[in-house]
Amino acid sequence: MVAREKLNQLKEKFGGAVQRADMPCNERLFVFVEASALKAVCQYLFRDLDARYVISIGMDDRPFSGKFMVAHDFAFDQDHLLCSVLTHLPADNPKVDSISDVVPAANWAEREIRDLVGIEPVGHRYLKRLVLPDGWPDGVHPLRKDFAWNQVPEGYDDTREFKFDEPPEGCTVVPFGPFHPTLDEPAHFRLYIEGEMVRGCEYRGFMVHRGIEKLAESVLTYNEIPMMAERICGICGCVHNVAYAQAVESAAAIKPPPRAEYIRTIMLEIERLHSHLLWVGLACHIVGFDTLFMQSWRIREPLMWIAEKISGNRKTYALCVIGGVRWDITAEVKGELRKVLDKLESEWTPVVAAVSKDKNIQKRTRGIGVADRALVKNAGLVGPVARSAGVNMDCRRDHPYAAYDRLDFDVITENGCDVWSRVLVRAKEVFESIKIIRQCLEKMEDGPLQLTIKDELPVGRIGLSSVEAPRGESHHFVITGENNRPRRWRVRAPTYQNLQAIPAMIKDQQLADMTISLGSIDPCFSCTDRMETIDLKSGATKVWTQEELLKLTRTKKT
Amino acid sequence: MSVLSKLKETLVCLKAGRVTLPYPAQAQPVPEKFRGRPLFDAAKCTGCGGCANNCPAREILLFDLCQEIRILQYLGRRCAYCGRCADVCPEKAITMSHEFETGTNSIGDIQQRVELFMSTCQRCGRCFKEPSALEQLKLKGYRVDDVAHERWVFRSKSYLDTEPVVDDIKIEMD
Ligand code: SF4
Ligand code: SF4
Repeated sequence: MVAREKLNQLKEKFGGAVQRADMPCNERLFVFVEASALKAVCQYLFRDLDARYVISIGMDDRPFSGKFMVAHDFAFDQDHLLCSVLTHLPADNPKVDSISDVVPAANWAEREIRDLVGIEPVGHRYLKRLVLPDGWPDGVHPLRKDFAWNQVPEGYDDTREFKFDEPPEGCTVVPFGPFHPTLDEPAHFRLYIEGEMVRGCEYRGFMVHRGIEKLAESVLTYNEIPMMAERICGICGCVHNVAYAQAVESAAAIKPPPRAEYIRTIMLEIERLHSHLLWVGLACHIVGFDTLFMQSWRIREPLMWIAEKISGNRKTYALCVIGGVRWDITAEVKGELRKVLDKLESEWTPVVAAVSKDKNIQKRTRGIGVADRALVKNAGLVGPVARSAGVNMDCRRDHPYAAYDRLDFDVITENGCDVWSRVLVRAKEVFESIKIIRQCLEKMEDGPLQLTIKDELPVGRIGLSSVEAPRGESHHFVITGENNRPRRWRVRAPTYQNLQAIPAMIKDQQLADMTISLGSIDPCFSCTDRMETIDLKSGATKVWTQEELLKLTRTKKT
Repeated sequence: MSVLSKLKETLVCLKAGRVTLPYPAQAQPVPEKFRGRPLFDAAKCTGCGGCANNCPAREILLFDLCQEIRILQYLGRRCAYCGRCADVCPEKAITMSHEFETGTNSIGDIQQRVELFMSTCQRCGRCFKEPSALEQLKLKGYRVDDVAHERWVFRSKSYLDTEPVVDDIKIEMD
């Protein structure tokens, strides 16, 4: 009864400030506290009980309780417990004590709450706009319930400019992004450079914020959201699909049939395999080693084909609905999947053997992008970044979901804290994933794929789900609601925490190492949105316009 | 220099040989379960509205011209190829085809419009048999999506009137 134990500790320390608590099961704890005690409770959890900070969520609960709400989620990894500390705030002029000076990892989350819900974190030291675009008027908060999903705010000003900070003395500013070959999405870093050394940076991102949460809360329905959730990320889409389904299932106390749990596990591991191979390839590409980039992508390709065979698509598997999965793994596919895994294993082993001794790669990655244990704790880093700093944490083992509690696998850790260690962690995790899928194929029992849900889901229940994505923990927070859709759904992708540590990771290292440091947390690249061709004979260049390019891709003719 | 690892890496490349496929010069077959562009079979469709109500991308619009005629329009613009429409269709009127090269300069090439003669009652919406409680029709009755502007209208009505629908944000179930 870990949950009860923690609750008793809280009650003992804070007495009446703990208003109410829910323990729907042994792995979840929801504590409602007085707003005035929120910060102290979080500090106690984070510093004294050594909880890991996950995310903060702001909610407009006015239509239901007449109040605003803030929740801070924490995880006790060794105790297999996810815990949410919630508080109610008055309907007008909502303010909450900022926890970011005791829990630095809450920096972004609190700024996001201020932007989107309009709850002021009092005492936050850097209250700059984070999520909303530059031209968005002040004082308009899109995640409030009285703001319609398709509303265009009055006073939107395209010409308004974002005010960047002044660089420190003696530094020049070098812009990195919004479009840069090593970024998978537009994001802008203003690097402060002194000579060749990076001394700091300012980040301006969220340029592809699509408002999926708002859509889910106001337009979509429970079983439509999974298909949109997987579009949050092009690489670990299935993770969001499963995490959302699990969050709703945990809120509504639904348990999917065992076969569905095994299939979820298999698809998640196929996704991890393809993502890790993709990442190793891209990391090699960033440091200029294209041979291995090609090879690891070649080795990865059969995984994409088997995923397509199972789900009907290479990516975006559209796997889950609430209470189960949509695609079966037939006996025929089982045999094929086994063959794909054997081939993968036999091809990946020599690659790892070669790479792990390759001095050239090590020269570019050792001692670069350092994130040590202290940074992992304070910035709430997750996944391979945490494991490369020797932090033994993996949601598959710590907060078991799907069929992971019935499987046997190792959590890979390294102690280098640098990019090289992250290469090793990911390269070795490939073998663990192969092991996991093989066990699933062995143990998978026959049975239904979906549970039939006869009644509408209960209203106002909270569900949490943490899924270990290839890049780290993906955390979903759901409050069920009326009209067949959630009231609030908050997604925290692993990069949300990992990206916050980039300024610390690149500080005082060479500018040339920026790309691989950044690449080491997040594995995608972007395509540029126009291209240039050169006629080799005449040397004449032609720049393609967006329209010409579109036409070219659609007709395959110039 | 780590000559040995370079040699090992060379070996990996040599063993692989040439693997690039001649796509798009030569078409590649897709697996049986591939989810391509959904195709609507007007002969099977009863106009129950199940697909339109459960399409995450709001790609399927319904418009009731009069008591007897319902238009179903597939927009083909932002379809996610999720296949949910085919899943929920009680008449198996939708197939996820194997078409995936759907890039075009005129959207009409992929759009589909089905004009249905409605013999069943449109008001109750009961002819849609939902697979679970989560797919039930929330918009019952006459549907008035803005087909001309390809816009889903979050509203259904219990009577037909000719007034254009403004204020379509609230879901009305009257
Ligand atoms: S495939 Fe999915 S997105 Fe496309 S029309 Fe069907 S339900 Fe809508
Ligand atoms: S669900 Fe099937 S029968 Fe009903 S409207 Fe859609 S295509 Fe027609």
